[in-house]
Amino acid sequence: MIFLAIFLVLFVVTEYRGRDEINAAVNSFFRVDPLVLLSYLLAAKTFTWLLLPAVLMVLATLLLGRFFCGWICPLGTILDLVTPAIRKSSPIKMLKGNTKYWLLFPLLSASLFNLNLSGLLDPIAILLRGLTFLLYPLLGLTAREGWVELYRLIGEHRDTLAPAYNLVRGNLLPFRDTLYPLAFFSAMVLVAVIALERYEARNWCRNLCPLGTLIGWLGRFSPFNRVPVGVCGDCGQCRELCPTTFDQGVLNKEECILCMECQLGCPHGRISFRPSRKLKLDGPMLPERRVLLGGMVSGLLLAVPARFRSPEKGASLLRPPGVRGEDDFLKKCVRCGECMKVCLKNALYPSAWQAGVEGIYTPLVIPRLGYCEYNCTLCGQVCPTGAIPNIPVSAKKREVIGKAVFDKNHCLPFAKRIDCIVCEEHCPIPDKAIRSREVQVIGFDGAMRNVKEPYVVEEICNGCGICEYVCPVETKAGIEVFAVKNRSPVSESAVHTDRFGESGQSGYSIR
Amino acid sequence: MDRRNFIKAVGAAALMAPVLIREALAAVDQPHVVVAEGTDYPAITRKAINSVGGMKRFVKAGDIVVVKPNMGWDRSAELAANTHPLVVRTVVEECLAAGARKVKVFDNTCNDARRCYVNSGIENALKGMKNVECKHIETERFKKVSLNGQFLKEWELYDEVLSANVYINVPVAKHHGLSKLTLGLKNVMGIMGGNRGFIHRNLDVALADVNAHVKTHLTVIDATRILTAHGPQGGNIADVKILNKVIASTDIVAADAFATTLFGMKPADIPVTVAAHRRGLGEMNLDRIKLVRV
Repeated sequence: MIFLAIFLVLFVVTEYRGRDEINAAVNSFFRVDPLVLLSYLLAAKTFTWLLLPAVLMVLATLLLGRFFCGWICPLGTILDLVTPAIRKSSPIKMLKGNTKYWLLFPLLSASLFNLNLSGLLDPIAILLRGLTFLLYPLLGLTAREGWVELYRLIGEHRDTLAPAYNLVRGNLLPFRDTLYPLAFFSAMVLVAVIALERYEARNWCRNLCPLGTLIGWLGRFSPFNRVPVGVCGDCGQCRELCPTTFDQGVLNKEECILCMECQLGCPHGRISFRPSRKLKLDGPMLPERRVLLGGMVSGLLLAVPARFRSPEKGASLLRPPGVRGEDDFLKKCVRCGECMKVCLKNALYPSAWQAGVEGIYTPLVIPRLGYCEYNCTLCGQVCPTGAIPNIPVSAKKREVIGKAVFDKNHCLPFAKRIDCIVCEEHCPIPDKAIRSREVQVIGFDGAMRNVKEPYVVEEICNGCGICEYVCPVETKAGIEVFAVKNRSPVSESAVHTDRFGESGQSGYSIR
Repeated sequence: MDRRNFIKAVGAAALMAPVLIREALAAVDQPHVVVAEGTDYPAITRKAINSVGGMKRFVKAGDIVVVKPNMGWDRSAELAANTHPLVVRTVVEECLAAGARKVKVFDNTCNDARRCYVNSGIENALKGMKNVECKHIETERFKKVSLNGQFLKEWELYDEVLSANVYINVPVAKHHGLSKLTLGLKNVMGIMGGNRGFIHRNLDVALADVNAHVKTHLTVIDATRILTAHGPQGGNIADVKILNKVIASTDIVAADAFATTLFGMKPADIPVTVAAHRRGLGEMNLDRIKLVRV
């Protein structure tokens, strides 16, 4: 319960609330996530200190057992909360046995072959995506629509309620109501996990969850055991109390989530968890060879075709600032959706198909919907694995997302021979990556006039996309940002990272 | 005098009459522009306001006042892209002292509203002041208004401005890529909703249209530091020039006209000023403006 509360609080604070830095974000949950750690190690084949907590979690699991699932996992807690209200039929037979390994092994093996999809089935990511993409925007939208309706009803009188609304909005609601692609699908996955409770308690956790499977396997090595191991002949209460195991009359250590319900509920006070000698009743260390090999092979089979991507999609494949290489990014991204939640101007959206199968749920900048704010570094701050690097503002300003290109068939000064240059006005580069030159043209009305024709100074364009965002041409913009291979940062002199270049707060004194 | 000459004479007189009448009126009621100079920004802001007659001339007890600064950009105060927070705060204080029931400060920002309000320093400067609101724009409050202008027939304007008793325009003086400078007349864009980029195609006429509808009662131009290039958002401290001046006038065109000279330009160089003057919104001829330095 505590950890679910922490999770929700962290979820809400993962947003700009007047400060440039976010100290605590919901990324902490991913940084203690052993599945994220393992797939990162396999795919990126390097280590990052950001995931040190996950290493500690592995050690803690080796020592104590599968306590993560019973104590920390927010999705597990949600299941525990709703499961009493769901009537159970009998467990699904098909899910028993090696199903969970058939999920875990292909994921890990695909990671080894550079396709890191573990985030798709990671329980914390499933929960976070469901919240971020559908439930939270829904909450924000409902509150906001209500607030707007109230204005239509009572007009200015609404102001009397404003302090209360602002308090809620400032601390709880999302700043902007964004609709995300894949929103419904993300929520359905979450709902499906909950719906599995119809068959047995903690169905997902026991039979499917790759994180749980991994932790359960690690937990086998723990010297702590439940004593007694089996159900006592005279009581059998454990069968009722235990949410995860004990259907066979013995405790399956792999599945025990150390919730301690049996210890608390035992009418005889017989049960304890303490270090004891290894149990004989443990199954084999690993599932049969064919599961292991089959998992490996299917991972490989998954990894290769998933990397297909039609070439024309590449042009709009704009990644968050600081991401230099597509391949490296895909190996590290957990697809948790945090960057998209925190993005100040809602520039980031989950990729549905644009980045191919391997890129599903990875963040894409869609400048027509939102641009990358010049002084903001939030996405890098919340990224759990550093797939989006956490870099200082002065460096982030120079990071190249793409390059802007004019479309003269749409851009007004060219297409209609009239003044505009809204893009130049908004370009945040102090020296202006969009400039204009005054030329004399014969307008379509036959009159000679001076018009400012804009052009892009490519060397200092960082592809933030504000030009495309603000372009007053309707639907398709007269300027668009396209992806580029060479994402080396623009020169330091272009962004003037002098004493005021850093976004820092104003240096003046109020008094 | 034959008939043809008579008609000519009458025609000429008819054409000249408005000009002559305006000349005559101007002599009587010459617009004042006050320029206060000094490094104590609250003090010079106060001095400038007092010299145009004091805030009580504009704000009556119980009035609702809108103070409209530039805070459209995510830039710190030093970079001269937004109105200096101390100037804004002093104007607000004067309104309260004159008996305003409520003072509302806002801008329809270009960058993220939260960042602009924070980083401009204005939100913080007004924090804790009673009867002062510094809220983000709420889009439902934009109302379609019939302007019947030359370019804009109708546009969405912010209802808090429309319903206010007094509208005080507090721009910062800065360079602008399209309109050359942005001053009081251009600052009115911050109360406009909709696809604002649209008006760029005929900016000077559009701004005259809006300014003709929304009367600015007092213009206070912040020229404590001005942005001389790469406007309207700048970002390079080398483009900022410190002048330590605050300009005040009841005539928005006159205030803009004088501020233009700070950049070494003439009022006639700025099409927005010229269009507004032609529309009869104020005086741009420096010879007909009474300049008061305090």
